[in-house]
Amino acid sequence: MGHKIKEQVQKLLEEKRIKGFLGLRELEGHILPHLFCNPQELESLSLGDWKKAGDARYPLNQILIQLATKYPQETFAVLVRGCDERGLRELFKWNQLAEEKVVPIGVGCPDELAKACECEKPFPDCLIDGLKGEGARSQRVHRVDGMDLDARLDFWLGEFKRCIKCFGCRNVCPMCFCNECSLEEELLVGKGEIPPDNPTFHLVRAMHMVGRCIDCGLCEEACPADIPLRTLYKKIAEIVNEEFGYKTGYNVGEKSPFNVIEVK
Amino acid sequence: MAKKRLTVLKRLLEFSGMNPRRLRMKWVSSAEAVEFVHEISDFAEEIKQLGPNPLRVKEAA
Repeated sequence: MGHKIKEQVQKLLEEKRIKGFLGLRELEGHILPHLFCNPQELESLSLGDWKKAGDARYPLNQILIQLATKYPQETFAVLVRGCDERGLRELFKWNQLAEEKVVPIGVGCPDELAKACECEKPFPDCLIDGLKGEGARSQRVHRVDGMDLDARLDFWLGEFKRCIKCFGCRNVCPMCFCNECSLEEELLVGKGEIPPDNPTFHLVRAMHMVGRCIDCGLCEEACPADIPLRTLYKKIAEIVNEEFGYKTGYNVGEKSPFNVIEVK
Repeated sequence: MAKKRLTVLKRLLEFSGMNPRRLRMKWVSSAEAVEFVHEISDFAEEIKQLGPNPLRVKEAA
C-alpha cells in the first residue's frame, strides 16, 4: 500500500513540479506529518494507519495553509483522503489556499474506516492509491432523530457536561481558520467555567460548522471527553443539504450559501 | 443571510432538544410600531403557553 503514491510523488519531485510533498511518515514507531522534499525520504511514508486504519490522521490541510503562507510562491503536493479533498475545495473557495499551488495526492479509505466514519464518500476524486470504497449511511444522527424533544435535551446536556473546554475540536479542525474565534468571545461563552456554557459552546461551534465541516472526524477523535461531536455536525450537514441543496466540498465552483450575500 | 442562518439554527435547536417555537424571526422596520407590538405580544403569548424553558428548569435542578 502506498507505492503508487510514492511513484507519483517521486515523479513530481524529480520533475521539480513541487517543492515538497506534505504527507505522513513513520518515525520511531510513531506517525507524524512530514514534508518530503526528496525522493529518498519516501521510504518512511505512512498513510496514517498506526494500530487501526486511519487512527493516525492529521489535519494536513491546516499545516499546508501554514506552509503556503510562509512560502507563497511554492507549489506543494498534499496527501488527501476523501474528506481532505472536500476540505481543499472549500479552502480554495474561501481563499485560504491557491488552487494552482496545490497538487492533491489522493488515497482512498479502507471499508473499516469508512464505516467507522459513516463516510458518504470515503475516497477523493483525485484517487491514486487505495480503495474507491462504498459510502456508508449515518446511524448516529438517526438515533437522536428518533428521540423525543425532552430526551434529546437530556442527552445533549449530559454529553456536553463532560466538556473541559480544551478546544481540541476547534484546534484540530482543518476547516477552522478564523483569526478571532467566536468561542473565545466572552459575550457568547463565559470565561472561567467548566463545563463551558451548556449547551451554548457546542451549539455555537455547530453553527460555525455550517457549510464548513467536511466530516473528517478529527474533532471527535481529539475530544478527551468522548463527546459525540460528529453527530451534531453531521446533522448540520443534513440540514444544509435539505434546506439549501448544498453539500460541503462536493462542488468545485459553487460557494456555500453562507459565503455568498445576495443583493436583490 | 440572517434568514439562512436562522433556518439552520431553528432546526439545530430542535435537534438539540429545544422547541423550535421558542425562536421566531420577523422583519420589522422602525416605522412599523404597531406590527412590532403585535408580533411581540403574540410571541410572548406563545411562549407563556409553552411554559418555562426546560433548559432553565434542568439547570436549576
